[in-house]
Amino acid sequence: MSSLEKRALLALWSMCPVYCVYFVIQIGLPYLQPTMLERIGCLAVVASIHATAYVIGLLAIKRREAGEPLLEDERDRAIDGRATRTAYFVMLTGLIVVGMVMPFNNSGWKLVNSALLFIVLAETVRYALILIGYRSPRLAH
Amino acid sequence: MPTESMSNDVKLQRFLAQDMTQAELGKRVGLTRQTIAAIEQGRYSPSLDVAFRIAHVFGKRVDEVFHWQPGVNEGNDAVSLG
Repeated sequence: MSSLEKRALLALWSMCPVYCVYFVIQIGLPYLQPTMLERIGCLAVVASIHATAYVIGLLAIKRREAGEPLLEDERDRAIDGRATRTAYFVMLTGLIVVGMVMPFNNSGWKLVNSALLFIVLAETVRYALILIGYRSPRLAH
Repeated sequence: MPTESMSNDVKLQRFLAQDMTQAELGKRVGLTRQTIAAIEQGRYSPSLDVAFRIAHVFGKRVDEVFHWQPGVNEGNDAVSLG
């Protein structure tokens, strides 16, 4: 497994479950009438868990990769570039929805959570496409 | 629809070069071991630059290591220069 593939897998595993829980909580939160501080606290906890899981995983990967002469080459860059191009369009769609459409009908935390959802979606698409790229039958330079 | 196919003898050339490892070949041409494996299995077509470098390591021409077969349609389109 290449370095980029390991990092993509780590990013997916550290991000998707945590933010899935976060968005499920956010759907239920309005019924609980949370305060602003509680909402910010919830986001801070989720972001901290994500960051901690990612950093621990990254350190483990770096430790295992110590001494390897080359971690990335033209194939990795091609796969990454292709995945990033697609994820860019997801992010662009999110920007249009959250920044240009939603403000007419929504405000506050709905906008915050929708923006966060599109960021998570774009990142998920990028890392998923990287993983698919390494398993696709053929990739020309 | 053209059905061209690329193939290569990188694995054979490694064997002939005193059983050179994928990692060693990768190190000499600036690729990871995983990419050398992908090239050998036909899952990745390298850039022209890398193809030349791989051929150079084995002391061969590019067309002795990498082979390209034109698709059915393209083969019919070949222009005779004779």
